[in-house]
Amino acid sequence: MAQVVFSSWGGTVVDNRAGGEAKDASFRLPTTLDGERSLAAFMGWDGIILFDKGVDVPAMAAEYMKRVQTLYCCGKCTPGKKGTRVLMDALAAIVEGRGTEAHLDSITDLGDLLANCKCTLCQSSTVPVVDAVKHFRDDFLAYIRGAQKPVATHRYIEKYTAPCMDRCPAHIDIPAYIEAIKEYRFDESLTVIRDNMPLPSVCGRVCPHPCETHCRRKNVDDAVNIMVLKRSASDYEWMHNAEPPMKPKPRKSKTVAIVGAGPAGLACAYYLALEGYPCTIYEALPEGYGGGMIAVGIPPYRQPRHLLQRDIDIIASMGVEIIYDTRIGTDISLDDLKKKYDAVFLAPGAHRSKPMGVEGEDKGYKGFLKGGIDFLREAYMGRPTGMGKKVVVVGGGNTAIDCVRVALREGAEESILLYRRSRKEMPADVWEVDGADEEGVRFEFQVLPTRIIVDGNEQVTGVECVRMALGEPDASGRRRPEPVPGSEFVVECDTVIPAIGQDPDLSFIPENMGIDITKWNTVVTKYIPLKDAAGKELKDGMGNPLVRTLITDLDGVFAGGDAEIGPLTVVACIGNAHRAARVIQRWLEEGKVYLTDDEFMEDILTNFPVYDKGETVPWLDSVERAHQAEVHGRERASKGNYQEVELGFVDSKAVQEAERCLRCYRVAMAAV
Amino acid sequence: MVSLTIDGKDISVAKGSTILEAAALLGITIPTLCWLKKVSPTGACRVCAVEVEDVDRPMTACNTPVKEGIKVTTQSEKLSKIRQKIMELMLVNHPLDCPVCDAGGECDLQNACYGLGASRQEYSALLERREIRYDWPLIESDPNRCILCEKCVKVDHEVVGCNAIAVVNRGEATVIDTVDGKPLNCEFCGNCVGVCPTGTLISKPFKFRGRPWAFNVTKSVCAFCSTGCQIEYHTRNGRVERVTSEDENYNSGNLCINGRFGYSYVNAPERLTEPMVGSARADWNAAMGSAVAGLKGIVAKYGPDAVAGLGSPRVTNEENYLFQKLFRGAIGSGNIDSEARLGFAQAQKVLRERLGLQGASATIDAIDRAGAVLVFGCDLNAEATGIEYRVIKAATKNDAKLVLANMRDVKLKKFANSHLKYRPGNELTLINALTRVVLDEGLQDNDFVSSRIANLTELTTALSAVSVADAAEAAGVSEADLRSAGRLLGREKSVAVIFGADLMRSSGAEEAVTALVNLSLLLGALGKDTGGLFPVYEKTNIRGLLDMGVAPDMLPGNRAASASGKNLWQIIEGIEQGSIKALYLLGCDPVASFPEGERIRTALGNLELLIVQDPFPGESLKQAHIVFPSSVAAEKRGTFTSIDGRVQSLAKAANSPGEAREDWDILTELYNRLTGESRPASPASIMAEIAGIVPGYGADVILPAAFPAAGPISLAVMGVARPAAPSAQSYTLLPGAILYHSGTTTTWSKNNGEVAPAGYVEIHPDDAAKLGVSDGAALRLSAGTASVTGPARVTNSVQPGLLFAPYHFRSMNVNALLGKGAGSASVKVEKA
Repeated sequence: MAQVVFSSWGGTVVDNRAGGEAKDASFRLPTTLDGERSLAAFMGWDGIILFDKGVDVPAMAAEYMKRVQTLYCCGKCTPGKKGTRVLMDALAAIVEGRGTEAHLDSITDLGDLLANCKCTLCQSSTVPVVDAVKHFRDDFLAYIRGAQKPVATHRYIEKYTAPCMDRCPAHIDIPAYIEAIKEYRFDESLTVIRDNMPLPSVCGRVCPHPCETHCRRKNVDDAVNIMVLKRSASDYEWMHNAEPPMKPKPRKSKTVAIVGAGPAGLACAYYLALEGYPCTIYEALPEGYGGGMIAVGIPPYRQPRHLLQRDIDIIASMGVEIIYDTRIGTDISLDDLKKKYDAVFLAPGAHRSKPMGVEGEDKGYKGFLKGGIDFLREAYMGRPTGMGKKVVVVGGGNTAIDCVRVALREGAEESILLYRRSRKEMPADVWEVDGADEEGVRFEFQVLPTRIIVDGNEQVTGVECVRMALGEPDASGRRRPEPVPGSEFVVECDTVIPAIGQDPDLSFIPENMGIDITKWNTVVTKYIPLKDAAGKELKDGMGNPLVRTLITDLDGVFAGGDAEIGPLTVVACIGNAHRAARVIQRWLEEGKVYLTDDEFMEDILTNFPVYDKGETVPWLDSVERAHQAEVHGRERASKGNYQEVELGFVDSKAVQEAERCLRCYRVAMAAV
Repeated sequence: MVSLTIDGKDISVAKGSTILEAAALLGITIPTLCWLKKVSPTGACRVCAVEVEDVDRPMTACNTPVKEGIKVTTQSEKLSKIRQKIMELMLVNHPLDCPVCDAGGECDLQNACYGLGASRQEYSALLERREIRYDWPLIESDPNRCILCEKCVKVDHEVVGCNAIAVVNRGEATVIDTVDGKPLNCEFCGNCVGVCPTGTLISKPFKFRGRPWAFNVTKSVCAFCSTGCQIEYHTRNGRVERVTSEDENYNSGNLCINGRFGYSYVNAPERLTEPMVGSARADWNAAMGSAVAGLKGIVAKYGPDAVAGLGSPRVTNEENYLFQKLFRGAIGSGNIDSEARLGFAQAQKVLRERLGLQGASATIDAIDRAGAVLVFGCDLNAEATGIEYRVIKAATKNDAKLVLANMRDVKLKKFANSHLKYRPGNELTLINALTRVVLDEGLQDNDFVSSRIANLTELTTALSAVSVADAAEAAGVSEADLRSAGRLLGREKSVAVIFGADLMRSSGAEEAVTALVNLSLLLGALGKDTGGLFPVYEKTNIRGLLDMGVAPDMLPGNRAASASGKNLWQIIEGIEQGSIKALYLLGCDPVASFPEGERIRTALGNLELLIVQDPFPGESLKQAHIVFPSSVAAEKRGTFTSIDGRVQSLAKAANSPGEAREDWDILTELYNRLTGESRPASPASIMAEIAGIVPGYGADVILPAAFPAAGPISLAVMGVARPAAPSAQSYTLLPGAILYHSGTTTTWSKNNGEVAPAGYVEIHPDDAAKLGVSDGAALRLSAGTASVTGPARVTNSVQPGLLFAPYHFRSMNVNALLGKGAGSASVKVEKA
């Protein structure tokens, strides 16, 4: 087990340099950066973590400050711009043998003064440096005395990040795009967003915004409304009829086929197209229905079709060809694609409804619909949904909520949601549940459907349910809902829509092709095993290996999106596909599949993570979070009314909200 | 309201106010360096750090909004130490060239160091010097002196609406520079220089002209466009060396290139310095004598109607008043007119007759807060930059929707929610179609319409003949865009409607302006605190000119004359036919700047007497019999009336060159000599006389807008003609103003000439390809017998079939291609 030699992380000093009985300190850091090179030290906004006694801390601190000042310091405040320069020069003087003890005093003094910086970048960069001077003073003095000369023992890898951008699966440079809005530069804001987010109108509207759960402003009062600010930047371009500024590089000869025009497929195409690669997307649905789950899984009152189409059209205008109405495995085989293109990216999504596990669901009753996602798709495409007047939806996720809300818009007289746990436990986003509530959806919480009731014509007339109550805690400590005996009752209805979940339909991948599939029915991709100090392999939130290259077991075939991660979010698919695009580019250009040090650091930091919810953030909480305007009242869900419900910010409101951002940049640096 | 305590004193301020603003209300001064009221807070310098009880770090007062109940401390030992150390850091490697720095003596950094006690230096860093940008026109940048306050970048972006300069690089190497590192190529408004607290951005023409304290500073009014910006002339030895504008001024210290740098025309070597009789220099007595004798002789021989005069929007109210008085009183002729006849007068007539307005319906600050703005047929950037700044403010800071109707892509396009890039000649069609959309979709201001307008049905009936689809097709815009433009305007409670040269000078101007008035009324643009109807003109005193009665049909105060004299074109015809024998040109050069310039040149040859009173030797002067050299605005007293009725005083800041005299002075003497009176005059006494005749007038007053606050107003109902089919064959030339010049005046300005020395023709890439010309190639444009040649500028900003050429340059006089009564011309284009 890797031993922490020294740590000042988070202000808690663990010092094992003197030997003796080792004091314990553990961090969510892997033992190696990339499966090979050992992590010797880690320096960042909250201190120093030393695993290898041989690391030259003064030299590392000097290098750290040099990188902060010359590569990242924005120069936009006096203490940051000048202070880090004075620090950098002082540390350089010491390491170069020109230093004095006065330099050390100056470093400590500036550590205090830089608390007055505009943002946290330069301010937080003084923490490891001041810690170094404090706890490694003898090492500095050795330099000052001339007893020590720099020896290059380790390589340093730095990473510029912020809690929000770290948490965002697409790693959008959130503080940068918010700062651009502060400065009334909505166009530049969108450029920053597009660096990592090719569907800004979408993720400005329907993103579950995990970034906001890691917003440091939360430690003051409430998170910045990061998502709606993204929408503001995106809408600005559209509302001003501005041409998107992207200019793809000259066209290259190697080609890429992409399966599925969903968020992952579109994102991969976007970034490869920017690099000049001709991409062809094969989409099973007809033209006008591109967008994958964003189109057929997210109703237009949340994501207006014309704006999704605008994002798709922009990608197409960059030279991406989208062939609609073509299903891989039916209209063209995967093998043919593989032969025709230099690389293939599989992003078919997860469009197959999971069964609900209730008596009668497999009988083909009239009024028992195939699944939530199928219902949403048919409604979206204007096809008959088979829905009646009294609709019951079973499930607790966003799809279930979308179904009850769409049912109202499709003309249901009653729309009822059955969920086996409580409202608080619903995986659906709170604001979606509230939205359904406002529109008049009836909720039945803590009920379990047990049987579908039909009449003589096999037409559904109701669902038999049983009430649920929380049982004793199980092994994981979670109390599982259990049926309450004798609580059976019937919910009358003519339509039942199971919305339990979806999984990918990978039947288009021939078994003998050499592409492995997991037991959760996702595509297996290659990964680099990183282990923690206890020897445990690091995983992402979905249980996948933390660091994946996204190439399948078959050379030249890559996979991403829901079909690789497991059903997740638009933003996760985009982040994943963006990485896939980079890896595919390396494959096409160098014939090799690998990840860069920066990508390793990215994943390592996400696992670390950058946000600390326990941090005390001193700030005056004088401006509360701004909320976007919204259409209220039940009429918004009247039959046929798919008008957008949420209305975004006016620009001045966006600027005001942007001003709340604390710009929590910071730099981490690893020594390997 | 939010209550808080600052340094033990209680105060209540509006929610959203900053600590700095709250402190200011208490009279507590918190030191600042990067804070600039007119732009978003930057928080860069950190010297405004204050302590807030229970917040465990200093907060910057400039960008921290107040919170109920907080206790703020602005002075403490801890804060003094922080501020002092921050100043020390700011001074690390700051150059010590204060003795030769242009900002020396007016440097905020010097003042802050002194004020915050930064008297020593604890910190040091390796010295790196950054390249000084000597290669920019008009402006020089020494990044070594920069403290990164970002005022320049923010003014450039937020006020001017440009992205000419930006913060570039990282760390200590961070500087303000052009985004691409190339020499500055911008609007050259110099507002960045105006706000720079140090000697980083300086005016090149002003560099080394003197120490700031050695100048006399005279508050005055800008002499270029009709916005009426307030300025200060800085003079030394009677010579204007720079123009600035304080942030406290009505225009918040913002100027355009003409306002800030255009002053160099004052010092132009071409200035007329001596009176001339024939081709010989004369003294004033001789010249006056000749003029009086000539005029008297002609009146005696042919009658007073044989004398005509053209006035100028460049001269003051007092001078225009005297000019018409000279004609009507001393000579007995009503034959006076001006360039207002080229469009503004007709537009004003419509406003006057329909709405009782002589100019804008409200002062231009009402644009800032409008909910929607329609800018029709107007390149505000060129015609009234100061008004453009307000539209940008409305659109960017105050969430106004902006609809732009312009044949070209002009600067405002990037701020516009809708740009109707209409085909030439479709102004009326487009306005009627927009009106039809508003009515169709019930977007009219119902409160206003129901209480004030009686004949809505008549208009609705008349407009039922309008097909929005046909109109859109004729105008070359999509019906969807046209409808969406109507909605953008119709959904807002207050609307500002702004129109300019393309509309006023179009051949159907009267009808089009009438239709625009209808639209404005329906939108509820008039009669509110925000929004309004705003005609725009490129030259300062166009409104004053007409208010003073320099028009054949109108007396001072916009009263109808009992008998109308000859208008501009009747005067020209009169000269051609021999009925007019004498012409007096006051501050205008019709040969160079009016349509049919060559015809006018020929006509002038018929005159027995041509008197030219001007500061400069223009084209018309070549045929003058008598020349009176006159003063420019910086050299005289009097008033200008801005388009929105602010009558503002200008002050004499500089000496006139040679024997040039103020126009009012020349006119007074001539009047006295002609009438035998010996009335002394001064601008003040003339204004007193005006005030007795023209209601509301006086120096430094705001004329009340005459739009009635109550009572019925009728919409003008006109027949609707089918839009004309576009003629695919010919090219339309649109001569017009560009940002870098004002009329022909600034063509005498060395500074303006440095960035815009000569004319050119903008042509669409498709047309350029058809003609086989590339950027810079010479094009010959001809119409009738007139032709001009100039270099092509191939650009998408014009539409196929449309050519645009700046009309300022005598060396490429595109006005000559225009026919009378038209702002554009059908021309033949060929490779020259």
